[in-house]
Amino acid sequence: MKQTEEEIIHIKQAVAEMWQLVESQIHKSHQALLKYDTMVAHEVQSREKSVDSYELYIDRACENFIALFNPVAIDLRFVLSLMKINNNVERLGDFADGIAHYVITRQQPPFSDELLKALKLEQMFREVETMFALCKRALTTEDTAVAAEVFGHDHLVDEIHANAIPVLAAYCREHPEYTEECFALFGAIRRIERMGDRCNNIAEDIIFYVDAKEIRHTGK
Amino acid sequence: MKKKQVSQNIAFWIFRLFSLMVVGILFWILGFIISKGIQVIDWDFLTQAPTDGMTGGGIFPAIMGTLYLTVGSIIVAFPIGVLSGIYINEYATNNWFVKLIRIMTTNLSSVPSIVFGLFGMALFVNTMGFGDSIIAGSLTLGLLTLPVVIRVTEEALHAIDDSFRTASYALGATKLQTIRKVILPMALPNIMTGLILSIGRVSGETAPILFTAVAYFLPKLPDSIFDQVMALPYHLYVISTSGTDLAASRPIAYGTALVLIAIILVINIIATLLRNYFGKKVKTNF
Amino acid sequence: MTTPSNMCITSRNVNFYYGNFHALKNIDMDIAPNTVTALIGPSGCGKSTYLRLFNRMNDLIDGARLTGEILINGRNIYDARIDVDELRKNVGMVFQKPNPFPKSIFENVAYGLRVNGVKDKKTIEQRVEESLKGAALWDEVKDKLKKSAFELSGGQQQRLCIARALAISPSVLLMDEPASALDPISTLKVEELIYELKKDYTIVIVTHNMQQAGRISDKTAFFYLGELVEYDDTKKMFLNPAKPATQNYITGRFG
Repeated sequence: MKQTEEEIIHIKQAVAEMWQLVESQIHKSHQALLKYDTMVAHEVQSREKSVDSYELYIDRACENFIALFNPVAIDLRFVLSLMKINNNVERLGDFADGIAHYVITRQQPPFSDELLKALKLEQMFREVETMFALCKRALTTEDTAVAAEVFGHDHLVDEIHANAIPVLAAYCREHPEYTEECFALFGAIRRIERMGDRCNNIAEDIIFYVDAKEIRHTGK
Repeated sequence: MKKKQVSQNIAFWIFRLFSLMVVGILFWILGFIISKGIQVIDWDFLTQAPTDGMTGGGIFPAIMGTLYLTVGSIIVAFPIGVLSGIYINEYATNNWFVKLIRIMTTNLSSVPSIVFGLFGMALFVNTMGFGDSIIAGSLTLGLLTLPVVIRVTEEALHAIDDSFRTASYALGATKLQTIRKVILPMALPNIMTGLILSIGRVSGETAPILFTAVAYFLPKLPDSIFDQVMALPYHLYVISTSGTDLAASRPIAYGTALVLIAIILVINIIATLLRNYFGKKVKTNF
Repeated sequence: MTTPSNMCITSRNVNFYYGNFHALKNIDMDIAPNTVTALIGPSGCGKSTYLRLFNRMNDLIDGARLTGEILINGRNIYDARIDVDELRKNVGMVFQKPNPFPKSIFENVAYGLRVNGVKDKKTIEQRVEESLKGAALWDEVKDKLKKSAFELSGGQQQRLCIARALAISPSVLLMDEPASALDPISTLKVEELIYELKKDYTIVIVTHNMQQAGRISDKTAFFYLGELVEYDDTKKMFLNPAKPATQNYITGRFG
């Protein structure tokens, strides 16, 4: 086994562990938001530190790899894209943490189940989770076709997000006393939308890593 | 650990003993000849011809004869040998002809010197009609050293890294320019050393000049290269085996031996000095 | 002439043999003027052999045979009418180990001029100074031109060899692993020099050092088993090589 490959495998292992953690953070924030479950939200917050330390660890490993192994070609693309992906994954963790924070501070907001359904929050979350799962599969199998699937899901997330604005606005008009609550909820929804964007970025970086194709800012 | 050291020490002392033995024998011979020979050596011994049926006088004609023959053999062997060495190493591709030359030179250098003497007599003395003479002796001695000169030249050239040749060619130099301006100057110290060492050997040879150049006794120096000469090694042989009064000429024999050894020693010292000098010169400024 | 006029060196269907050994196979390659082209590949892949075709150094080897054509500045250098010594004046070469002649610094640089028949003292002095300046060595040696070249450090000796090659005003400069025997600082100096020389010369360099190839070359050619596997912009080669073999070689996953 070549030393370079061993080092890469080592980095990939840390990445796999971190992604698993972040995946569960997203899922848990999903649960916490839909049921306004503060227990789960606390769980998410308590594990945020661990996501951060994974980010630092992987960044350091990438820096060392560049400094010591002078990677080129696929190795170079791997480590370059991984540093960016790593940052995006950490942001995903931050958003999960932010949603948990929302759940904890707002406790039991007076929203009806109808409103939550109309906002399609569950579907939105499921899309994001699917996107992250796709990213994970694309990275481990180095499959750009899988990575490209992410973009379609992102459109859906954006639509749901856009749809949330008139729904919430209508609700505000009916219940002006809940305006503040509505703004707070919209903050959480916005975070879910941002999660989708980050998954999009990850997919782009995976495509650069595998195919060396630059597809950022090209309108896909 | 200890045991290893002991056996190391024993082996080391055995090596040291043997090398000391060699040096000891050498000094013994030298001391013996110097102690016996030094008594007869004075200015007259070096500048006078032998007298009284070679029981008296000096060895001047023999010293000069040896010098003539040595210089003569250099003149014969140096150009031919160096040029063939250059040809073999620089020009000839490694074909059957070069192999043949190599085999021949190796064989030539192991031919007994007396055979060279006989050959020289047949070719130079009789066939070419030079008679017993400096020229016949020089040619014979030259032939004797030729293989050595060729080998020395070849090896000196071979030792030079090919990158110097390619570097020269890469600058647009021709083969001849490369050899003349780069390769020969670099090889010269080694060639010179080998050459002078072979001169030392030539000046001590007896057999090749026995039938081609030397005279039993000559009261005067030769007038031309077609004259006979006396020579130190042969003179030594004569006064030790077939002089008029062997017992009376014994001290002169030791004196002759001492002079011969001294000449060879001086030549070797010159060789070393020359090599150092040229070696330095090659490194600094050519 | 089929060569595009803007190319400095053009190889057309070049095959090269050592006796029965097929050392180079169907090489087609164009090298633009005033560029640095790096030839990379494992030992024995033919890159050095290819380099030595450009100044016909391989002519010295028995049983060497070439088919196809190589054009330098539009002239087929394997044409029977080409004077090899003249060709080598136009195509300078620097070798792996610094190999200055056992002469003075001045005479080392002047050598190429002298063997090419330049006699005028003024001209020689002028060219020597220009060449030493061109090789970024002048300031270090201008006070000791009469000193032996062997008194210089390894890195200085290699730059002296570069100056020696520059003295005869070639248009192409071939370099066979010119920094492989040097320490990192000397290597850096030689690399900087190569970067400077690109303005006036077309440089082809064989190197085993991937980072070096990346640093100094505009284009990189990867040779493997006598074939030109990939030839492209160095940036492209080192970020995203097209062929798996190239990728395996430059990332060290070879064999």
